[in-house]
Amino acid sequence: MKQLLIVLEPVIWFMFGQGIMIGTILLTGWLIVVGVGVPMGIFPADALAYERMHMLGSNVIGRVVLLGLIVLPLWKGAHHLRSLAVDFGGGDRDAIVGSLLYLIAIVGSLLGIVAVIRL
Amino acid sequence: MARAAHPQAMQPKKPGTTRTAPPKMPDGFPGKGRYRTYVAFETTGLIYLLMGFIILRAIWQLGAGEAGWNGVMDAYRNPIMIGFHVLALVGVIFVGVRFFWLFPKAQPPRIGPVRPPPAAILKGMLYSVWIGTTLVMTWVLAGGAF
Amino acid sequence: MSDVQIKKFVVTRFDPDKDEVPRTDTFEVPCQSDWMVLDALNFIKDQLDGSLSYRWSCRMAVCGSCGMNVDGAPTLTCKSPLSSYGDTVEVTPLSNFPVIRDLVVELDGFMEKLKAVKPWIIRAKEKAVEEGPYRQSPEELEDFKQFSLCINCMLCYAACPVVGNEPDFIGPAAIALGYRYNLDSRDEGASERNAIFRGEGSVYSCSFANECSEVCPENVDPAAAINQAKLSGLVDWAASLVLPRGGKD
Repeated sequence: MKQLLIVLEPVIWFMFGQGIMIGTILLTGWLIVVGVGVPMGIFPADALAYERMHMLGSNVIGRVVLLGLIVLPLWKGAHHLRSLAVDFGGGDRDAIVGSLLYLIAIVGSLLGIVAVIRL
Repeated sequence: MARAAHPQAMQPKKPGTTRTAPPKMPDGFPGKGRYRTYVAFETTGLIYLLMGFIILRAIWQLGAGEAGWNGVMDAYRNPIMIGFHVLALVGVIFVGVRFFWLFPKAQPPRIGPVRPPPAAILKGMLYSVWIGTTLVMTWVLAGGAF
Repeated sequence: MSDVQIKKFVVTRFDPDKDEVPRTDTFEVPCQSDWMVLDALNFIKDQLDGSLSYRWSCRMAVCGSCGMNVDGAPTLTCKSPLSSYGDTVEVTPLSNFPVIRDLVVELDGFMEKLKAVKPWIIRAKEKAVEEGPYRQSPEELEDFKQFSLCINCMLCYAACPVVGNEPDFIGPAAIALGYRYNLDSRDEGASERNAIFRGEGSVYSCSFANECSEVCPENVDPAAAINQAKLSGLVDWAASLVLPRGGKD
């Protein structure tokens, strides 16, 4: 397990890097409108009506953006939680904790691909 | 009082014959000073992981049909959910500010014959993309376009 | 004659022959206003307790010997004026290192890590002497000069949270000193070193706390070297997948 992690470390770091940079850039707008603005009535609820969101999400650009919004934060999250686990629990269990977290990110990423294909 | 570090931290592979006192973690780690900011930065990992799954569920429901999507929107109006999203927004902005501050130094002095722009310009470019993308997404999602 | 102020020094003591665990001794030192922390330790050693053990040599921030924690912060004691501390100053050995005696820490672990990253110029084929020297432009020197200024003071290791938790982590100074050769126009060993950077204790263990760079007395910025090495390691790793012979010439 530890050896596999060592081999995959560059790819994991790449996904983490994209999560922290592109994930952050994409999440900000999503949170402003979908997370806070519309639920609090700052923006009209019609903006997120089903037909409109489906139209926005089901074209190629929409699917790519939505996939990024799902997949990239998962990798940023998994990698930083792994670091946090090392900081508080030490490095001895890093291989098992890291593998579990990345497994969660992989499963979420695969489900994310299915989710955007279903649109 | 600093907590104990890993007993093997900075130990040579062949330990010397003199008994040594075990290593300690840095003073103030993890709760004080700059370490606190760093730990907060890492802790946002939980927000990002949850956001990934929250958006996954939303898009899954969007694919399931109108009833599913409307259920998501109803759930988002719950005050606890709004509170979490506000916290997430603060966390995401914090991550962006800290990461874009660190980003320029992570660039090699040259990529082939090309040198990355100076740190200030690189930071300006990152912030422009961040703010620009946020404005476009807000405009599109909030109904300004299409 | 400069002003004299009495300061209390709380200093970690550890005698491996007698002490089970480190303890502290307190000394009152008449400090002159222009003294550095190291001057006070030298006063203690000369006037109050000759058994106090600590490393020092050059007194001008070049040799890197006198790194200790002062009031909890990794500090080069010859470079830190006492005027910036209060009436009580706590001096402890560098964090993350085993302690040999008092303020002296075990450095052999670092020396092993440093050697592992091959901090020397690697050439596929050495030039014959009659072919002349390897020429380098000032711009090429500028690419790595910053990383070559490391004085091995170990403050970066004492500040790094990863070093204390992951014994295999190569650590800031060694990575900076290895990566410095990857950037050197005369070197041809980058792929070799990148493989080491990707191996056990890899650069990817670094979680970019940036503390190494914050405490570095020479502004080497090891965090920059580590994170550049991550990118370089990724590119090299990708090249090894698609190019014959791992992308080597």
